[in-house]
Amino acid sequence: MKRMTAEQAPLDSTIAIVTPENIAFTYRVAGPFRRLPAFLTDMAICFLLYMGLIFLVSFLSFLLAGLAEAVLLIAFFLIYWFYGGLFETFMNGQTPGKRLMGIRVLTIDGQPINGLQAVMRNILRAVDMMPPLSVQAIGIDAPMYIIPTFTLGLVVMMATQRFQRLGDIVCGTMVVIEERHWLSGVAQLEDERAAQLAMYIPPDFRASRTLAQAVSTYVERRRFFSVPRRREIARHLAEPLLEKFGMRADTSHDLLLCAVYYRTFIADRVNEEERSASPFAVTPGMPLAASPMAPR
Amino acid sequence: MKVAELLDARRRNWSELERMCVEMESRKQRRKLSAAALARFAALYRAACADLALADSYQLPENTVQYLHRLVGRAHNQLYRSQRFNVQKWTQVLLEDVPRRVFNDRCVQAVFVLFWGVFILSAVFASSKTLWPYYADAMIGDATIEQLEDNFKDPITGRDPRQNFQMAGFYIWNNTGIGLKCFAGGLVVIPGLFIMLFNAAHLGACFGYMARPDVPEGANFFHFVTAHGPFELTAIVLSAGAGLRLGVSWVATQGFTRPDSLRRTAEYAMPIMGSAMVMFFLAALIEGFLSPSGAPYALKATVAVLSSGLLMFYFVVLGFPRRETPPS
Repeated sequence: MKRMTAEQAPLDSTIAIVTPENIAFTYRVAGPFRRLPAFLTDMAICFLLYMGLIFLVSFLSFLLAGLAEAVLLIAFFLIYWFYGGLFETFMNGQTPGKRLMGIRVLTIDGQPINGLQAVMRNILRAVDMMPPLSVQAIGIDAPMYIIPTFTLGLVVMMATQRFQRLGDIVCGTMVVIEERHWLSGVAQLEDERAAQLAMYIPPDFRASRTLAQAVSTYVERRRFFSVPRRREIARHLAEPLLEKFGMRADTSHDLLLCAVYYRTFIADRVNEEERSASPFAVTPGMPLAASPMAPR
Repeated sequence: MKVAELLDARRRNWSELERMCVEMESRKQRRKLSAAALARFAALYRAACADLALADSYQLPENTVQYLHRLVGRAHNQLYRSQRFNVQKWTQVLLEDVPRRVFNDRCVQAVFVLFWGVFILSAVFASSKTLWPYYADAMIGDATIEQLEDNFKDPITGRDPRQNFQMAGFYIWNNTGIGLKCFAGGLVVIPGLFIMLFNAAHLGACFGYMARPDVPEGANFFHFVTAHGPFELTAIVLSAGAGLRLGVSWVATQGFTRPDSLRRTAEYAMPIMGSAMVMFFLAALIEGFLSPSGAPYALKATVAVLSSGLLMFYFVVLGFPRRETPPS
């Protein structure tokens, strides 16, 4: 059996961040197919802005003559080049489209971006759009519409670890998914026998960290699996455990994992009784609690 | 301590933090939060951080750990917010750092030489009928030549003021856009150089063609372009130079990794592009209002001399004495 080394990074688009509080937490990095809808939404908003401005200016042009058109052209310029940069500066790394898709721009250290980075990564989108394609290139006699293909940006994104396009690499930024994850608490075990079986687990048995992780992942998801599927998955973990505990070989594998789960997460663990959690909790009367201390 | 009990004890804090995250995300509600609430947000965030750090030793179930990762990530983004532009810092950067960088930067110097070399060469070819007879026609194109001649057939005596505003806006939109494309294209070197060289050759050819003695529109043309020339041409050189600096940092990394080298150079080159944008803006104002006006040629020439002097002062006097080592 192949052993997984600690150096092997998980095959996942997550990125670990160490905060000033010295806590490491993970983000999921947003790939091109989550960023494209955000970009298209922003394009649509820009288009609406252009339309709104044109309407407004054509309405006001009786009053302000040339000035209105100048304002229009300058506004076009600003929207085209600085829409993303300004929104990302003032909306904490998000444009309206990004907000809709639940993604946010951060530096690669997980810090918020500054104005310079926000503006620059948006200006450099001009490079990521390359090479441009024109309808004329395929022999159709059409006006000179230039279609950005985003090929360069896409290729660079595929080649970098954090799905960065060229503008992101230059500014040291990345786009992460900021999503909600519902707190489900401890899984409810509907089967009474799990608790009974847990009593037969040797009292000195303590699940290792990886075992606890595997068991909790399994038990939290088992209600989505059919019975034969449960049997198939649970077998790998349960067979060696049955042997270790000296239990009968015909014990239900699924039930055994539930029992281990019960034992690890729900039942009393005598040796951890004194490790009380309450000092770390923030109580309403303690608004300025200092950073909680590590347990002894 | 049971994990189930621990989760129950913490759940209230976590959901309160989550609620506050939602409030912090909306600008309107964020303003309404009191100082005590903000302090409490920080405290709750630290507590959630501690819970996450201890998740391993508590042996929390995987689902809860995932939840904590997301919760801490969300709160982190609300606590550490993006920095705005600092006006004072930017004035300092534009008046102190940029001239010094430009004065010493080999890339800007190289682009300066390239741009003006190509410009002058192109102008010489286009003005002479014997050196390369068909150069001007090939470079500028017949249609554009006709349009140029048509535009400048009447002496410049000023135009409808509403058109001035409109054209100033157009110049800001068009020329600054070209500058920004030139800068961005410099990141992959060839597109940036192409835009810069094409502009040099095309503008040089226009100037050369108009300088031919048998082109009557020439006088009007120079009457128009003199005043805004210095700012506009310098701005193109600066944007292409800053772009090329970015492109060069891919290759000459100074011992840094390529992304690090790029990041360092970006902070160095972006302000140069910023000053180029200011110049494009000034050029657009002059081009929109003074250049087409009926003011005497002497006045326009004075403006050109003054703006060249200002640029000299900016790059040489402000840039000279203190050397700042460029990143490569």
